[in-house]
Amino acid sequence: MTIPLLELFVFATVLCGFLGIFLKKNLIMKIIAMDVMSTGVIAYYVVISSRDGLFTPILGTVRQQNYADPVPQAVILTAIVIGFSIQALMLVGVMKLAKDNPTLDSAEIEKNNTP
Amino acid sequence: MNTLTIAWISLPFLIGFIIYLLPRLDKYLALATTIISLAYSLLLFSQSSPITLNLLDNYGVKLVADQLSAYFILTNALVTMAVILYNWESSKTAFFYAQAIILHGSINSVFVCEDFISVYVALEVISIAAFLVIAYPRSDRSLWVALRYLFISNVAMLFYLIGAVLVYKANNSFAFAGLKGAPPEALALIFMGLLVKGGIFVSGLWLPMTHSESETSVSALMSGVVVKAGIFPLLRCALILEDLDPLIRLLGVLTAIFGVSYAVFEKDSKRMLAFHTISQLGFILAAPVVSGFYTLTHGLVKSCLFLLAGVLPSRNFKELQQQSIPNSLWIALVVASFSISGFPLLSGFGAKALTMKNLVPWQEIMINLVAVGTAISFAKFVFLPHAGGESKQKLTIGFWIAIILLLATLFLSNAVYVEAYNLPNLIKALAVIGAGWLLYLVVFKKLSLKLSRVWEQFDHLIGMMSITLVLLFWIVLA
Repeated sequence: MTIPLLELFVFATVLCGFLGIFLKKNLIMKIIAMDVMSTGVIAYYVVISSRDGLFTPILGTVRQQNYADPVPQAVILTAIVIGFSIQALMLVGVMKLAKDNPTLDSAEIEKNNTP
Repeated sequence: MNTLTIAWISLPFLIGFIIYLLPRLDKYLALATTIISLAYSLLLFSQSSPITLNLLDNYGVKLVADQLSAYFILTNALVTMAVILYNWESSKTAFFYAQAIILHGSINSVFVCEDFISVYVALEVISIAAFLVIAYPRSDRSLWVALRYLFISNVAMLFYLIGAVLVYKANNSFAFAGLKGAPPEALALIFMGLLVKGGIFVSGLWLPMTHSESETSVSALMSGVVVKAGIFPLLRCALILEDLDPLIRLLGVLTAIFGVSYAVFEKDSKRMLAFHTISQLGFILAAPVVSGFYTLTHGLVKSCLFLLAGVLPSRNFKELQQQSIPNSLWIALVVASFSISGFPLLSGFGAKALTMKNLVPWQEIMINLVAVGTAISFAKFVFLPHAGGESKQKLTIGFWIAIILLLATLFLSNAVYVEAYNLPNLIKALAVIGAGWLLYLVVFKKLSLKLSRVWEQFDHLIGMMSITLVLLFWIVLA
């Protein structure tokens, strides 16, 4: 019964991140909440790939039966890199915005920049 | 042909980097890339069977290029080409062209993907490249618009990723076809991501501000092709899985009604065009089988209209009615508006007729009403006062080449569906346009109803995602 419990935690993380995105007022906090959400998603891929076993899927002299599934792990690596670069881009954008109007309050920034 | 496909997919990314190294050749390299895409799409039309490339063993990572992709790729090539020509004499740096070409390449790759992960990667590259082109002017507003866009699409794609792994869990494969055996929550999550990305129904409310507050050429690119990258996977799924067809058609009709009801009341030309894009995306989804042709005509005409709206003296229709615009501009506007309203001789007519033919009975009446709404919205352009004389803004030759390229293709692509030209279709098209214009002159011209923009606020957009998710889950379970 370990996997369902893990899944539960993973989904709780995703939900917390998602709620943070619209409950937090500070733009930086919103971005961090998004990161929490993406951490949850990444963790879910890892949980799924460890369904059949926990051993690193590398062929060696000792034959193991219960290898972890390498495909979701390989796929999520790409997603991690993408998530990281988006995060970096967004933080640069926020830095520039905050320099010009000294606030990080998202409602304030939105009000100033909406026609 | 397989090698050619791979070379063609990787070329734009390579060119994107080369542009940085050889900034003097930026426009020429960018233009050459779009010409290659154009040639590739024409080659794809001549293929009798789809090209299938299995990239990774049997985990369902594969590319498929067929007639439907060819239409989308052709649209992408022509719109990007027009945007590059439009900017030919501007002071845009190599950075802009590099990003535009990378954007072009990533959109192309969505149109040949046939599994959830390749689509995910391509869509995220689109988000990043689109962020960079929107934020190109570096003004506060453009930065905020770009940031908002990236934020929303990234959150949507996170939900999508959860859906994708659920599909993998059920089938050990990421292929679109695996959606059939997947649990309902996988479908709801994946569709939610794609609906937000494609600007469908209520999840598309981010679109009006992004498309209207961007620079002219970026709006043309965004409305012309970028949103299509979000709906292409939906169409593919609907064509592969029969069961999804009714859901996609329903979403199509809802979106068409939703978008047009905003568009008829809108007083700002660029926002009107943006809302109208939402409604046209609905048309594309309403008949997935023939969506390719509709996408082509819509992409061309919408980018053309955005380019034209960018050189008008004002964005506000009220102010535009007070002054006259040059005849040359007015003629171009009228041709484009006629095409989108479905006037004979232009390919918008053929596309509308083809879509109508492929509707199921319950859709027909609503889609016809939406067509009247389209005619009302575009009567705002048709009935603008016009006179001879020069435009205040200097119009470059590049601008006119871009407009002529787009409008000429609209005439030529009539050939796709010549059978549309029969008496009932002609009468219907004229009746729809006549009704629309009459309604415009009698009712909508004087009406000043201002629809609230509260729902376009960032927090509401994110909140709307959760509602969409619940709704989708509900529909799928039912």
